[in-house]
Amino acid sequence: MFMRWLKKVMKSPQKGKRNKEKVNPSAQQSSGQAIHPSLSHTRTVLQRQMGDSPDFIIRNFRDQSGSDLYAVCYIEGLIDASLLTELIGVLIQVVTSPPADMAGEHTALSFFQSILPSGNTAIIQTQNEIYPAILSGSAVILTEGIPAGVEVSITGGERRAVGEPTSQTVIRGPKEGFTEEIATNMALIRRKIRSPDLRFVTHTIGKITQTKVIVVYIEQIANAEAVKEVNKRLRAIKTDSILESGYIEEFIQDAPLSVFPTMLNTERPDTVAGSLLDGQFAVLVDGTPFALVAPVTFFNFFQTPEDYYQRYDISTFLRIVRLISFMVSLLLPSIFIALTTFQQEMIPTTLLVTLAAQREGSPFPALMEALLMELTFEVIREAGVRMPRAIGPAISIVGALVIGQAAVEAGLVSGAMVIVVSFTAISNFVIPYVDMAISVRLLRFILMFLAGTLGLFGIMAGTIPILAHLLSLQSFGADYFMPYSPFYKSNMKDLLIRVPWWAMKTRPKVKSGDKITRQTPHQYPEGANNIISRVQDTDPSDQ
Amino acid sequence: MSRNTIRVSELAMGLSLFEVGSTTLFLIGGEAKQDAWLAMLTGACAGLILLLLHLAIHHKDPQLDLFLLFRRYMGKYLGTVMNLLFVGYFSYEASRNLRDLSEITILTLLNNTPLWIITLISIVVVSNTVRCGFKVFFRVSVILFPVVVFGYTLISILIPATGLFHSEFLLPVMENGWKPAFQAAIPEIVSFPFGQVVLFLVFYPHANQKGHLNRVVITAYLLTAVALTFINQLIIFVMGPKLAVYSTLPLLETVQMIDLAEILERMDALFTLLLFLGLGIKLAAFFSGAVIGLERITGVGYKKWVIPVGAALFAMSFISPNYTHHIQLGRGVIVNYIAPVFQAVLPVLLFAVMLLRRKRGK
Repeated sequence: MFMRWLKKVMKSPQKGKRNKEKVNPSAQQSSGQAIHPSLSHTRTVLQRQMGDSPDFIIRNFRDQSGSDLYAVCYIEGLIDASLLTELIGVLIQVVTSPPADMAGEHTALSFFQSILPSGNTAIIQTQNEIYPAILSGSAVILTEGIPAGVEVSITGGERRAVGEPTSQTVIRGPKEGFTEEIATNMALIRRKIRSPDLRFVTHTIGKITQTKVIVVYIEQIANAEAVKEVNKRLRAIKTDSILESGYIEEFIQDAPLSVFPTMLNTERPDTVAGSLLDGQFAVLVDGTPFALVAPVTFFNFFQTPEDYYQRYDISTFLRIVRLISFMVSLLLPSIFIALTTFQQEMIPTTLLVTLAAQREGSPFPALMEALLMELTFEVIREAGVRMPRAIGPAISIVGALVIGQAAVEAGLVSGAMVIVVSFTAISNFVIPYVDMAISVRLLRFILMFLAGTLGLFGIMAGTIPILAHLLSLQSFGADYFMPYSPFYKSNMKDLLIRVPWWAMKTRPKVKSGDKITRQTPHQYPEGANNIISRVQDTDPSDQ
Repeated sequence: MSRNTIRVSELAMGLSLFEVGSTTLFLIGGEAKQDAWLAMLTGACAGLILLLLHLAIHHKDPQLDLFLLFRRYMGKYLGTVMNLLFVGYFSYEASRNLRDLSEITILTLLNNTPLWIITLISIVVVSNTVRCGFKVFFRVSVILFPVVVFGYTLISILIPATGLFHSEFLLPVMENGWKPAFQAAIPEIVSFPFGQVVLFLVFYPHANQKGHLNRVVITAYLLTAVALTFINQLIIFVMGPKLAVYSTLPLLETVQMIDLAEILERMDALFTLLLFLGLGIKLAAFFSGAVIGLERITGVGYKKWVIPVGAALFAMSFISPNYTHHIQLGRGVIVNYIAPVFQAVLPVLLFAVMLLRRKRGK
């Protein structure tokens, strides 16, 4: 009930907004007039609209008599200097030796398009088209007497180079990560999947920011319905700004009020490529290195790209370790509280005696103690992220010595509690995706309260709704707990157990589209057997 | 995939867990002494006949669930009365499970907590699951199935492994002939737990791949029945027939005796959690049965009924002033006089009407 009310409250203002926005575009369109043929007029309009910005530059080309011929406008920081030089060189050539047939509007524009150094050109008809063009890093060439312009993409400027991803590191595997530049990110994916079936669908979202958002998928391999759905949801977004993929995620995910993420974010091109080949799609957002991947299942959050590069047996083991860590980080403090407060008889006697001796001096009940320590750890962790790099070591001293050992010696908390809390914290870092780790952190506190008041019964009363909630979630048509419940036998080969690559015959069902077969079956490597048999089959001529 | 179909395998696991439900709380067929297993098997066979009857009813008109069948074949008024009776029966069974759940919590885990708090929390948790729909309920049972199977397998291994097993308690077989076993089985064991599968008439129409339905459901039923018989007999193997009859929670006491290398001692708290799972699943199943019934009768949406029915279950669970009365009512009165009506008499009536109507239609 509460959730429904919350949804209602959250939805109602949105409806109002939408209605208002419907009015706005029509008002804007009326000002979408054609480019004025007079160059000087257009120039003043542009200057005024851009607010005489110092980085907005209009370069004029005049003939000997001083009358206007052409103008090039661009924004200084967004273009590539050498491409601009080349472009200007071409224009100077045209000015000094004008070609014979520059008469009509159409011929002039197509002439420009043919001689320009960049292949990415377009013809612009209206005044309003000029702004998005120059703001996205193009130069616009205007010609005296012609009511149209040519857009030349010479995007460039300062950006971060492709570097190692900092949030998701691997020991073995590619060391490149996405950057803030969407064109680079597209190229990084293209370089991994050299197939003409790779599709990019562009959306421009954000009335003010005009952010490019691109849906990436592989035709036929991706689930067509999921792709259709994401495009539909992206088109429905009406907002004025998109600065990070998190904005998009909150707008389009299936369970907006759930603590569990139903889209996965990654800054690794290999993760995206792997997901695309599994039939998922990705959403790239300009201005952030984090791409979104969907449809995902719960278990996707426990798989790293490295699982596929390492040996299959160790990968399987690590996946199980990660799932156990998930359980530990969710349940360990609450189980400890429940056992020490209510069900002491379940603890082996000798351990119980030790625990009781430790807790003798501590003034708080176990629940308070655990809450205190967990909260302290959350503070240390947040401090670790926010503080300036230079004082990092100070925090670790404070964390380890003051809050750990000193707190125990001062008798504020018991030693066992420190162990429990720190092991929980470490386990939380094992979960490869931060989104999932965060949701566990929130749920842990609720479970601790339940365990502190109702013991094991409380833990049970807390976990069953979590389980039911997980099972009712969906991500773009795929059930969140998918290969396990509902059960899909063929998807089990890449769930907890990662089978060797030669046995990965098919892509995951439901998540992917029609082309389910990944490779030819029966590719068990025979190499070793062949060598052995060759050695054993002794040559008869030897004897 | 359409929104509200469940797979046959999910249905089978749900049925299996439903059967385990609260059965392991009690010693079933204690009147037959060491022949409890014979009584159990007899009961299971009789229950199988009921199950076959239910399946036959379902296959006569595979699109309709229990409530729609009554509505269609018994007319608007009589059918609605029948449906209300069934809703009442399902709710009552659910409220019994709720009481069981709260009582064992107080007996084993939280001795000083007031009963109503435990009951309230349990019903809130179960209502939340029911609110998500029966599809989620069956998916939850798919997740819990391995847990429950593992738990009972572990108990079955640990009890013999720690030397608690006395096979001589099985002897003499059929000391007084078939009669005691038979008397214990009918109608008590048939009505509880086996005949309760009548509830699944509500869920059969939602299963996809109908071709496998009979085979899978019957297999699940039989395997569960055999497993339950074994677990039930385990109590007798450990405690002996004389002592077992007087125990409140016999299997729990049996599990308490397990002591492996001083590490696995006092497993009863963990076993209680296992009991919770069974009880919770049974409770949720009956609960959703009742809610679906009310939806069918009134046409008011499924989710709107969850809170009223939950509140009613909460109130109904306090019918008995104490646990002994609760047990006496359940295992003395309901099992003998009320349950057979809903599990056998009304379905037979329905089946007869269906046959007659069909003939007349032709």
